[in-house]
Amino acid sequence: MELTLNEKRLLVALGSMGSADATALAEAMGTRPEAVVQYAHLASGRGLVEVHRDVRRRYTLTDEGKAYAGKGLPERQLLESFEERIPMKDLQRHPLARIGIGWMRKKDWIAIRDGVVHKTGGDLPGADERAFAVLGETGVVQDGEGVQDLVRRGLAEVEETVTYEISLTAAGRHLLAEGLDLRQETGTLTREQIISGEWKTLNLRRYSVEKVPRRIYAGKVHPYQRLLDEMRRVLLDMGFTEIHGGIVQSSFWNFDALFQPQDHPAREMQDTFFLAERWPLPEGYERVRDMHERGGETSSTGWGGTWSVERAEQSVLRTHTTCLSIRHLAEHPRPPVKAFCIGRVYRREAVDPTHLPEFEQLEGIVMDEGVNFRHLLGFLKEFYASMGFEKVRFRPGYFPYTEPSVEPEVWVDGLGWVELGGAGIFRQEVTAPFGIEYPVLAWGLGISRVAMLKLGLRDLRQLYRSDVGWVRETPVLAEPIRGEEGQCRS
Amino acid sequence: MPIITLPFAYLERLVGAERSVILDRVPMIGADIERVEEDHADIEFFPDRPDLFSAEGVARAMRGFLGIETGLRAYSVRPSGIAFTVDPALAGIRPFLGSAVIRDVSLGEEAIESLMGLQEALHWAVGRGRAKVAIGVHDLDTVEPPFRYFAAPRDRSFVPLDFDREMTMEEILVEHPKGRDYAHLVERFARFPLIVDARDRVLSFPPVINGELTRVTTETQNILLDTTGTDAKAVMTAVNIICTALAETGAAIESVTIDGREVPTLAPAERIVSVAECSDLLGIRLSPGEMSELLWRMRFGAEPMGDDRVRVQVPCYRADILHDWDVFEDVAIAYGYENFEACLPSTFTIAREHPIAVIEGAVRSILVGLGYLEMMPFTLTSEPVLFDKMQRPRSSAALRVLHPISEEQTVVRTDILPLLLEMLQLNRHRELPQRLFAVGDVVAGTATYQKVAATSIHPGADFSEAYATTDALCRELSLPYTVAESEDPAFIDGRRGNILVGCRIVGVFGEIHPAVLNAFELEHPVAALELDLTVVPGYPAPPGTP
Repeated sequence: MELTLNEKRLLVALGSMGSADATALAEAMGTRPEAVVQYAHLASGRGLVEVHRDVRRRYTLTDEGKAYAGKGLPERQLLESFEERIPMKDLQRHPLARIGIGWMRKKDWIAIRDGVVHKTGGDLPGADERAFAVLGETGVVQDGEGVQDLVRRGLAEVEETVTYEISLTAAGRHLLAEGLDLRQETGTLTREQIISGEWKTLNLRRYSVEKVPRRIYAGKVHPYQRLLDEMRRVLLDMGFTEIHGGIVQSSFWNFDALFQPQDHPAREMQDTFFLAERWPLPEGYERVRDMHERGGETSSTGWGGTWSVERAEQSVLRTHTTCLSIRHLAEHPRPPVKAFCIGRVYRREAVDPTHLPEFEQLEGIVMDEGVNFRHLLGFLKEFYASMGFEKVRFRPGYFPYTEPSVEPEVWVDGLGWVELGGAGIFRQEVTAPFGIEYPVLAWGLGISRVAMLKLGLRDLRQLYRSDVGWVRETPVLAEPIRGEEGQCRS
Repeated sequence: MPIITLPFAYLERLVGAERSVILDRVPMIGADIERVEEDHADIEFFPDRPDLFSAEGVARAMRGFLGIETGLRAYSVRPSGIAFTVDPALAGIRPFLGSAVIRDVSLGEEAIESLMGLQEALHWAVGRGRAKVAIGVHDLDTVEPPFRYFAAPRDRSFVPLDFDREMTMEEILVEHPKGRDYAHLVERFARFPLIVDARDRVLSFPPVINGELTRVTTETQNILLDTTGTDAKAVMTAVNIICTALAETGAAIESVTIDGREVPTLAPAERIVSVAECSDLLGIRLSPGEMSELLWRMRFGAEPMGDDRVRVQVPCYRADILHDWDVFEDVAIAYGYENFEACLPSTFTIAREHPIAVIEGAVRSILVGLGYLEMMPFTLTSEPVLFDKMQRPRSSAALRVLHPISEEQTVVRTDILPLLLEMLQLNRHRELPQRLFAVGDVVAGTATYQKVAATSIHPGADFSEAYATTDALCRELSLPYTVAESEDPAFIDGRRGNILVGCRIVGVFGEIHPAVLNAFELEHPVAALELDLTVVPGYPAPPGTP
């Protein structure tokens, strides 16, 4: 049991008296009675003292009350001003009529018939009158019948005095008998106390571990950024080089270089943010044109039709990070290339809980001699396992720039199989114009989907228009993935 | 993507297998099951496989995939003797025509619905909303060949489908619901495409509406198909897909003569592919015989040619086979994606972080150390937020999107600070102090680069805090900087500074102007800074600079 110094001083003060009231103790301890009561409550919580609270009331007459003192209450004075009966209009001329008539009726002293006031004879003095009489003589009463009525009528007022009687319990006496350390307590240590060695003799105040601490908040990286960093870490661990690039791209890099036909629906104004700026085509763009029109030098037929330079020059806010992958490959056509990119991409979508016009995409590519479809599945498995998704399965998919294409699905408890991203091997129509001679394995995913799973979000807007409270309360070390029902992964 | 409704009874009859078997396997051919109801399933197929947009097409594929009937499905085509002529004046309007006659159809309600569903899906996926291809289906017995496809005057009139009175084509574009939907495809032309019969009766006003005369009903026995468009290949793809789907129900296909050419032939295209190339791509060793067998399951014709070749016959309805690798994907699907053993290549590579990511990471660690909380605001914003509320003049460097989707997102951010002030506004109800920062992409003109901004709001926030934070950030970034008084109107005069590297202003800090606080509905002082990260040592030089 750890007593505060003040509790100890209280016990010592009580020791000589056994029992005392707070005021007396305050005087003995040189403090205020309120402080003594506070110490006593602490000590009483430990069973060392008993606190007895006593409320005393003291009644005195108000100015109005004093005006009637010795003469009686107004209704009594009024009653005595006439004999058995009196016409009402005469009685109303009496100076106390306004107050007295009502009270006389209330106390059933009078009855009124045909404008005449009759005494009923039941006019013995009540408790209020008796109390008033005593008050009038002594000026003060402690309590008693009738005095409350006078308070309510504004004739008397009350003054409450609370006293605390504090007495030692057996346990208190016992503790006191064992002796108490009454040295002054020290809160914060000073520099002087530390270097002088004074700390050795100090009585250091003890703090309660049961009290809830003050809540402070760490500065921190955004929970979503932590997730992005986790993914970067995974890819860096797998030996990938990070790439970076501009938000504004030409349609050439965003679409044409990826063999997306010029009349593809994704290239229409309602899906993509087009910009007024035009972007000159890179040297050698004709090989991409030939691929679209006739399939170039490959076994492809191409899309046919006429490829428009003007459409390719239109700039857009990149709709995927794949434009950065193909630019990187065009600059590094020799194997091996292992690269990844995490960046914001743009789609012309209205903002709602599950759609945003901008969001992050992750993409990885591997180009090397001899890489094949099984390696693609291998990278996918490895990547998803590192992200905490142990169970992965693969289904055929369709993406305009890969062949074969794969839709990976991961198992999430409570949700089942969740489609997470897309993958494939870049078509030769994509790689050949840039002199890339070996297969390019590629996969990508919208990270917002993972963020919703990992951060337990139902509204994607929380990622970009974040509640500071949410960021403060989201732990730095993330919990395991949870499904809809909030079940932990085994 | 097109979602196809497949009635179970009809599908089971066509496939010859139980619905449970079909539903179990159909995802592995390349499809997503959207929902399964009592009597049908809604399934999404990929846009490159329009041949799967009908129950008949799905049944054909599933029969092969399940091993019920494999190999190339051959379709016989007899000449119908029916002829079309095409008006050369259509050259700049809608030049290409495809057609076929489909005889002895017995169109139950299911088959008619399937046909209509297929037509709609093809209009979307192949036809690009009827711009590239439009399809008309007619009761052949209501009209008389030969037929003529020509550029007609705009005031030519006929009774369009679903109406009971004659209208001119111009009226149709205004008054008929389909006319209004597709007016944008033709209204710019002086003459409109029209198909008429020997007696000059109208079959169709492509790509808008058919005539009421040739409406197809359950009584229809013989169908005349027309497809018109701007792409010769796509026009024939649509003919092939519809003809082969109806042939699956037992109908007989006949060709027509278009300007002397017989179409359709429904003949497969031939492709000779390398078995080694396929094996290398997929990572599995296949013999020509094994590869051929896998292709049969996908309804290709295939026969081994020597050690490394397979002669592949690509069905006429397969619009997606552009390249040999498209064939190889089908080999992989037949092999079964679940049967591939995943593995990793052995090439050794070393990871490299991008220098910009390294700098952003350093900025994060410095500001987090200073007690700041990271935010990740949008990059799309508006000029009122970016400039007006900041009391800054609007800049021509802000990149505008051409067709914004809302007033809040019309430009790409040139600065991050205004978006952070918006974040403070959003979080007014949260406990102070709030110290927030954001680091990331901004765009000036068309160039993307990176900035960091930080704000601190609390009753004691002032110039000194902003200056001290700026100094700490720059020191930690090894950025030698100087400061000078700033004139940025977003800050209070006398409480603002520019960050200079050499003679170039690369950032600003200070105490936010009370008028700006009012504009963002903030009630306490804000100390703020923003810094261009391109001057930080280690930032990569833009391409093209020495």
